Amino acid sequence: MKKRFVLAAAMAATAALALTACQQGSASGGGDNDNDGGGESGGGEEVVTLEFQSLSDQPLAMEAVQGIVDSWNADNPDIQVELVQAGWDGIYDKLITQFNGGTAPDIIHYEAGSIAPFAVDGYLADLTDLINPDFASDVSEGIWESVTVNDQIIAYPTTLQSYMVFANTDLLEAAGVEVPTGATMTWDELREIAQATTTDGQYGLGWGLSSPTATFMSLGLGFDGGYFEGSGSDVTIDVGEGELAVPEAIHQMAYEDLSLDPVSLTQSGSEVLPSWYAGETALTVQGSFRVASIGTDAPEGFNWTVLPPLEGSVSADQAANPQTYSVNIDSEHVEESAQFLDFFTSTENLAALAYADALVPASASARDALAEQTADENGWAAVLASGDSLVAPPFLTVDAYTQWKDTVATPAFQRFLADEIDSAQLQADLTDGWEQVNR
Amino acid sequence: MSATVVSRPGVSSRAQRREAIALVVPAMAPIIVFSVIPLMAGVYLGFTDATLRRNDVADFIGLDNFVRLMGDRFFWESFRIGLVWAVACSVLTLLCAMGLALLLNTDLRLKSLTRVLALIPWAMPPVVVAIMWRMIYSPTAGPLNAALEAVGLPAVNWLGDFSTALPAVIVVAVWSGMPQTTVLLLAGMQQVPTEQLEAAAVDGANAARRFWHVTLPALRPVVLASTALDFIWSFNSFGLVYVMTEGGPGGRTMLPMLFTYLEAFKNRNIGYASAMGDVLVIAVLLVLSVYLIQQFRKGKAER
Amino acid sequence: MNQRAWFVRPLQYLALVGYLFFLGFPLLWLVSASFKSSRELYSLNVTLLPVEWTFTNFADALERQNLIGSASNSFVVAITTMVLTVLVSMPAAYALARFKGRLRAVGTGWILLSQVFPTILLILPLFLILRTLQLNDTLFGLILVYVTFTMPFSLWMLQGYVSAIPRDLEEAGSMDGANRITVLRVIVFPLLLPGIIATAMFTFVAAWNEFFLALVLIQSPELSTLPLTLRNFIGVAGAVDLGPLAAGSVLATIPSLVVFAILQKKLTGGLLAGAVKG
Repeated sequence: MKKRFVLAAAMAATAALALTACQQGSASGGGDNDNDGGGESGGGEEVVTLEFQSLSDQPLAMEAVQGIVDSWNADNPDIQVELVQAGWDGIYDKLITQFNGGTAPDIIHYEAGSIAPFAVDGYLADLTDLINPDFASDVSEGIWESVTVNDQIIAYPTTLQSYMVFANTDLLEAAGVEVPTGATMTWDELREIAQATTTDGQYGLGWGLSSPTATFMSLGLGFDGGYFEGSGSDVTIDVGEGELAVPEAIHQMAYEDLSLDPVSLTQSGSEVLPSWYAGETALTVQGSFRVASIGTDAPEGFNWTVLPPLEGSVSADQAANPQTYSVNIDSEHVEESAQFLDFFTSTENLAALAYADALVPASASARDALAEQTADENGWAAVLASGDSLVAPPFLTVDAYTQWKDTVATPAFQRFLADEIDSAQLQADLTDGWEQVNR
Repeated sequence: MSATVVSRPGVSSRAQRREAIALVVPAMAPIIVFSVIPLMAGVYLGFTDATLRRNDVADFIGLDNFVRLMGDRFFWESFRIGLVWAVACSVLTLLCAMGLALLLNTDLRLKSLTRVLALIPWAMPPVVVAIMWRMIYSPTAGPLNAALEAVGLPAVNWLGDFSTALPAVIVVAVWSGMPQTTVLLLAGMQQVPTEQLEAAAVDGANAARRFWHVTLPALRPVVLASTALDFIWSFNSFGLVYVMTEGGPGGRTMLPMLFTYLEAFKNRNIGYASAMGDVLVIAVLLVLSVYLIQQFRKGKAER
Repeated sequence: MNQRAWFVRPLQYLALVGYLFFLGFPLLWLVSASFKSSRELYSLNVTLLPVEWTFTNFADALERQNLIGSASNSFVVAITTMVLTVLVSMPAAYALARFKGRLRAVGTGWILLSQVFPTILLILPLFLILRTLQLNDTLFGLILVYVTFTMPFSLWMLQGYVSAIPRDLEEAGSMDGANRITVLRVIVFPLLLPGIIATAMFTFVAAWNEFFLALVLIQSPELSTLPLTLRNFIGVAGAVDLGPLAAGSVLATIPSLVVFAILQKKLTGGLLAGAVKG
């Protein structure tokens, strides 16, 4: 008898403890950022310390970020920024625990597609009225949309990437293909070049699509293929002609034209590069940031260029998924954080950051500055030009997107790319899967 | 003979209990704070609609999550894959490790080299293991396909092909799990009294019979414990697979824990995900209890 | 002793070489990659050894990431976890193995439950508890968590090894009039030593390799452990710096090899045979 009671009491105590722990975590964020140092509000003399969690991990980028922080700290003795270095790998999980545990830093570096859920869940400060108007007008509407959640701007967009076609110019020449020079290139043109450069046992195009969903979501925009209608939990999916255009074009090249290496479809982007470097494929589609590493990784004497951006039936639009800098809603210094971020995103700083990571700066002025700086470097002009057609993709604010992407879309696209199902089945799988996920 | 503890005359069962408690207490303290409480909280969350929203208030919703889970065919498909994966990993690991441990327990040359080599895979972070094997399996620039082509066989797209992806990751799991099981078995073999083996040898039992009738029965508790844990860990692991295939191709390596992770962290429905966790616990315990009871019986019968 | 067929030996060696190859080849490949230039890593030319040996990957790994610092953090964490876990779980495992009854049922039940329930779902409550105790972002907190998380395994393994020790040995000891402690120390402990070593190795490795808990519990870069640092070679969108990562991994394996070399001698020494007979 007595034992029973003890057991029950222990269980109750345990549950209560756990529950209080949970509630504490969500509620106490505001008052609990004691490691922010100097958090005591009051006298104007106080030095404010902002914790800034940065993910930039390439040596050049780390240097650039440190440089910006150092010069800010030198000029602003009252608002000191403390740089905390983290890594990209696992950062999502880290942020989940930081926010739920109330230990998130003041300033948070991430990317639009992945930070949006945190905004939806209410963890990010509304920056709409804090952003410097000059910067606001310097960045395109499409990019601003990508960092707008529930009509609030929740991050400073900084640098972006697009998908570009990289070509081995020697192989193009050998196949008698002229390098296209237009402002854009149609999918048919890509198909023709891939066919022309396909020879006995060698494919014209290698495309690393082991994680195909992001690429299809992005390039689909050129065919008006947005997949989703609505935002939040009130969303419908529409997989039609526009959505299927890109997967079908790729499928056609791989299995009808035999001009796209089907093995490459199961590899990652960087795993496809060796074949391109070795001259086995003439073309490869890669993230624009590759322009920076081709110089060091390609064999000597390798001649290459970047082809004009791909244009779909409607436009050359691709998804804008900028890297972002957000402010914790529970930070005691939201305004100071925004001030620092205004400085962080100034033309000069943004150009330096973008150059270090080989990405496209979000602001037009920084793009111009970078264009001047990289005038002599191969590929940069095309990369920077692609910045004009980056727009917010509909999936950014869709609640169950990630779950659908990982459990439904990616497997379905992979089956389609492996020629295991046809496009009607793909369409059915994508749509049914969305319903299953949202049951 | 094994009814109770060392039954010394004059020792009351109360003193025994006190002794037992004294022995267990140091282990209990950290377990209660860092394991039992989070565990209770986690199990309980499965009965709520908790999310990861800011200032979320979780309501108790009874069995709703479980009812919903019953109809979630993606979950059950991943559950099936998880079972195949866990059984294959634990059985293959046990077989490979047993063979290696037997070899290492003899007087062969090379065995000290093997013993050290056998331990290295164990000391590598899973992410490094995964990246290293991705290099080996690479369809274009990997040594495995280069070797196949050198002897005139067709290249295989190991991780990209629907039929080879799961077996390929299982091989990696065996590679990285074998060292640990080997060490455990080897330690167990060291405990087998040499007198018994010698006696059996004198009776004319050959090596196979000695293994079957002396070594294996003596190893039973160790084999039991390590296979059971291997099974659980394989079922629960997703780090290795996540880096290697991200659940692909076509969902062929979507392990249940990966699925639960996506629901908990990416979809932020921690309540529903905890319900998945609860179901997984029950399912795995059912599978295990069948195995354990059967093995315990066998063990008793042989004694 | 007994006659054995002539083919047994060669077969044994064949099997051993097979194991050696399976276990060793991937490692060889990794070591070789750590000496290859990025240009060579990005070529289709598959060679076992680097065409051109380069040390830049090692320089890069050491310079770019706080490899030494995080290795020493990992070492401290892993060794402490190992010692604490073994010290705490040895008596408890003995109790589990020898005192049948409710204790055993509850103990076994908890061990299984704690291993089966997804760690991912324990992270948030655990994080909140540690924060309440002000132990987040400390190596000590990390060690306590590792001790807790490796304990089920070491309890279970150790109780398995204890069960394997014939009870008559202990009884014989106590008949001789030795007290409980002496029996444990003189008879049980030496027999148990290989099991303890194996368990210790396990806890060391588990703490050495653990990534997820360290990721969420450790904030300060100067407290970062090795798996965290190695992960920093994986950049945005999973892009991997193969060369430096390979070099970093090779360097990172050395300390645990040293620990293994020391422990594994004890694992299978001649010392044990004597103990059993004595």
